[in-house]
Amino acid sequence: MATFELYRRSTIGMCLTETLDEMVSSGTLSPELAIQVLVQFDKSMTEALENQVKSKVTVKGHLHTYRFCDNVWTFILTDAQFKNEEITEQVSKVKIVACDSKLLSQ
Amino acid sequence: MASGNVSTVYISVIDDVVAKVREDFITYGVGDAVLNELQALWEMKMLHCGAISGNIDRNRAPPASAGGAPGAGATPPVHDLNVPYEATSEEYATPTADMLFPPTPLQTPIQTPLPGIDTGMYNIPTGPSDYAPSPISDMRNGMGMNGSDPKTGRPSPYMQPPSPWMNQRPLGVDVNVAYEESREDPDRLMQPQPLTKDFLMMSSGKRKRDEYPGQLPSGSFVPQQDGCADQVAEFVGSKDNAQQVWNSILNKQESVTKTLSIKESTIPPVLPQRDGIQDDYNDQFFFPGVPTEDYNTPGESSEYRTPTPAIATPKPRNDMAGGDDDDDDDDEPPLNEDDDDDDEIDDLQDGDEEPNTQHLVLAQFDKVTRTKNRWKCTLKDGIMHLNGRDVLFNKASGEFDF
Repeated sequence: MATFELYRRSTIGMCLTETLDEMVSSGTLSPELAIQVLVQFDKSMTEALENQVKSKVTVKGHLHTYRFCDNVWTFILTDAQFKNEEITEQVSKVKIVACDSKLLSQ
Repeated sequence: MASGNVSTVYISVIDDVVAKVREDFITYGVGDAVLNELQALWEMKMLHCGAISGNIDRNRAPPASAGGAPGAGATPPVHDLNVPYEATSEEYATPTADMLFPPTPLQTPIQTPLPGIDTGMYNIPTGPSDYAPSPISDMRNGMGMNGSDPKTGRPSPYMQPPSPWMNQRPLGVDVNVAYEESREDPDRLMQPQPLTKDFLMMSSGKRKRDEYPGQLPSGSFVPQQDGCADQVAEFVGSKDNAQQVWNSILNKQESVTKTLSIKESTIPPVLPQRDGIQDDYNDQFFFPGVPTEDYNTPGESSEYRTPTPAIATPKPRNDMAGGDDDDDDDDEPPLNEDDDDDDEIDDLQDGDEEPNTQHLVLAQFDKVTRTKNRWKCTLKDGIMHLNGRDVLFNKASGEFDF
């Protein structure tokens, strides 16, 4: 199964990376193991999003920048509005990074 | 899913990860204590971020045992979670690490980028190598960076304090490396071997003939593969390698953060001198005739004063934006180099704008289409960080005007 490293940049991923980093630098953890944990995180996070999350979101906004490189879309929106069942978030600027979902099924 | 459930999902992810790496830990001869420490630290950081709530931890125990099944991780007490979480997000615009980790004395601001990185980097998130779909090539890239790039020699790769990490969140695309899952693989350790092989293959891939000979001598770190030395190389290599790979992972995350500053610091050297021998000339009198991409922006005057020739790469993009007559140009720091000036004006965080952007969406796309200036895209499995809170989605559809 393939996974993306994409989610490492999320809050939870950052916290994990940070934790691993601390433990590696303190010698508690070997780098090999740290990498394994990250890889497992990639996998678990992807699975969790697939299986546990059900909400739908709509996004509207002004597309300031778009970029497609190596199967990754990057959008920078300004004055964007995110809506799901419960909340509406308005942000002046947001960056969307999206990997090709088809890569995962390969 | 309710935002409160984000916490639930996060907890289950933590549990799942912990449960599944346990055997690796055992294989490596690392005790459960370390794993527990890992989990505790991780959860603590999450708490600090406001990404999970403390209550959930208590209820997390059952799912932990069922770690194998991802679905099982979801915990009931959603209500509790909501309270602290929402409060946070409402009170403070962005309860991110900046706020929550203030006690950390180490707070290092974004480190100054080392010039070495820029080559592949200033393109920001688009460094092709970063998206390589296989773990191996990813590793390889990492190695390449480490091996050939002196920049990696940053002082203490491991000493990153928490806050810098958090700041990086908004960054770069190069997160998007697709990984070939190989966890079950008993020998992740063996990476050096595949690694080097990949090197060779890669070089032979495109221009076989000329590259091969050149590659070998130059790649001094390519271990011997054709003799008894193999074993040793592999052995010795594995430790170093993991270290390197780990470094590169960290670096990668960081470097993206720095892209902006990197851009600035590294571009100058790249700038072709067009006016003669006297180098200082450019700095002292910034010659308007030199193609600064900034001609679209209103703030030209300040731009000329800028000591740093902020130029070069983004020119085309700027043109594009300018052509549209978007007033957003000013709001959009990452694209315009000259925005150092704007930074102060911008209410956005000063410093590196793109990295500091508080709002980030990480997702997978199913489809992206465009009709004239109208863009539509469908995304799935996303994590959004908006206004300081995390929101997950299963599907998202976007409609943007360019």
